[in-house]
Amino acid sequence: MISAQDISKRFGSLTAVDHVSFEVGKGELIGFIGPNGAGKTTTMRMLTGYLPTTEGKAVVAGHDVFEDPMSVRRKVGYLPETPPLYPELTIGDYLHFIAEIREVPAKGRSRRVGEVMERVGLSGWEGRILGSLSKGYRQRVGLAQAVIHDPEVLILDEPTSGLDPAQVVGIREYVRDLAADRTVILSTHILAQVELLCPRVVMIAKGRIVADGPLDEVREQAGYGLRYRVELAADGLDEGAVAARVGGLSAVEQVRALSTTDGFSLLEVHAPADPRTAVAGLATAEGWRIRAMERHVPSLEEAFLAIVGREA
Amino acid sequence: MSIAWAIFRKEMRVYFVSPLAYVFLGVFLFLAGLFFYLGITMTGEASLRVMLGNLSVTLLFLLPLLTMKHFAEERRAGTFELMMTAPVPLWALLLGKWAASVALCAILLAFTGLFPLVLAFYGDPDWGVIATSYLGLMLLCFAFVAAGLFSSSLTHEPVAAGLGGVLILLPFWIAGNAADMVEAEWARDAMRDLSFLTHIEPFTRGVVDSAHVAWFALFTFAFLFLTWRSIESRRWR
Repeated sequence: MISAQDISKRFGSLTAVDHVSFEVGKGELIGFIGPNGAGKTTTMRMLTGYLPTTEGKAVVAGHDVFEDPMSVRRKVGYLPETPPLYPELTIGDYLHFIAEIREVPAKGRSRRVGEVMERVGLSGWEGRILGSLSKGYRQRVGLAQAVIHDPEVLILDEPTSGLDPAQVVGIREYVRDLAADRTVILSTHILAQVELLCPRVVMIAKGRIVADGPLDEVREQAGYGLRYRVELAADGLDEGAVAARVGGLSAVEQVRALSTTDGFSLLEVHAPADPRTAVAGLATAEGWRIRAMERHVPSLEEAFLAIVGREA
Repeated sequence: MSIAWAIFRKEMRVYFVSPLAYVFLGVFLFLAGLFFYLGITMTGEASLRVMLGNLSVTLLFLLPLLTMKHFAEERRAGTFELMMTAPVPLWALLLGKWAASVALCAILLAFTGLFPLVLAFYGDPDWGVIATSYLGLMLLCFAFVAAGLFSSSLTHEPVAAGLGGVLILLPFWIAGNAADMVEAEWARDAMRDLSFLTHIEPFTRGVVDSAHVAWFALFTFAFLFLTWRSIESRRWR
């Protein structure tokens, strides 16, 4: 549905996006993440046709963005980082205007505007002047304008910035619903949201794609795969000695001693299958005390920092 | 075309829900009244000649304020990105904005229609001359709005766009006055030809010459074309 083919964007001597390629299939929802200034917004602007590519080509909803921009514009809904609002207009006037230029048929236009307003939590707010809205409400109006024409492809740049936690949940659920039958690129800094919403992530740093795949794979790639943490206390043994004994178990691949608190050594254990029963067995046999044993699923944030740190 | 119509209606709404249109109307009508009064008392003629002549120069300074927001503000607010990612052809955006400012000019001029009525009450004005004078002023608005749009497309600072519009128009006023100081006849003619005063003057005498109409049409199209080019070229940078 979306295909970036080796696209680059240079502004003078600055390369903002450097030979980026990725594909997003029909009905897929991807998280597009990266540090500030990595080229996320520029990439999305190229996909919407707002910025021409310096090199490479982009195909969105079956149309070349450069050759046939109008067809692409008709099928894409786009929420830029700052919601594009006319401060003088009311919410109702604004959304009607957008529906009109987005070619929503005159018949049923009012109904559609009402529907979308209700969905983003703006019911009863038709008469409010855009310029007087808080950040959260601006964001909702921005989202409403992006979906008013029921687009096949949605490109959302930070859709939940400025929202309070309850609103974030509401909008997240809405995006999840939207993604059920359309293609969505969701760019955000809030990695926890990506973990909740997006089965797949594309990570960009310094204008290049540094990771692209299912969440688990991206975590693996960062060298931060699944691991286990155990806290054991063995009288007369220091953390290094305990780690060596645990490392001797056949179920265990690798052990790292992290710290010792209150006589308990904190170990990080890498293993292909859950090694906790084996570790517990050893501890029981040796008469060690066990304080904690947990499966540690690394967050995307850790993977993000690891990958981005490596690139930098 | 329906898209241009939607843009036009949106722009008119923006004009009239903000104080801009009203302040503008107030200033314009105050000056028009002043020129009307001075024109009558100085010449003793039942005509609008003096008022309309002065209004053309007033428009030079005021109209860029009316057009300055068009592209500059959209760029600053990010709504330009909205327009350029919605199925809005650039020509429709240009046409809608141009037509909205021109319509506002027509409304301004319609308010000055009170003055000919006053003339009719006390004297016997030449209605033909008044009609052609208004035609000339409308053509002038076409041209000035186009130049203002061009200025607005060059920057994302509305104030700079407004002053820039005045700067762009100034030579087309001054050229006519400065022409008298030039020795070479060909240069003098060329400079006179450049000035909008040369082209609007026949209208205030009741003469509608296709050459002068063409001059305003050319001026308008030239600046609309430049605006279009300027917006297109900025996308590539």
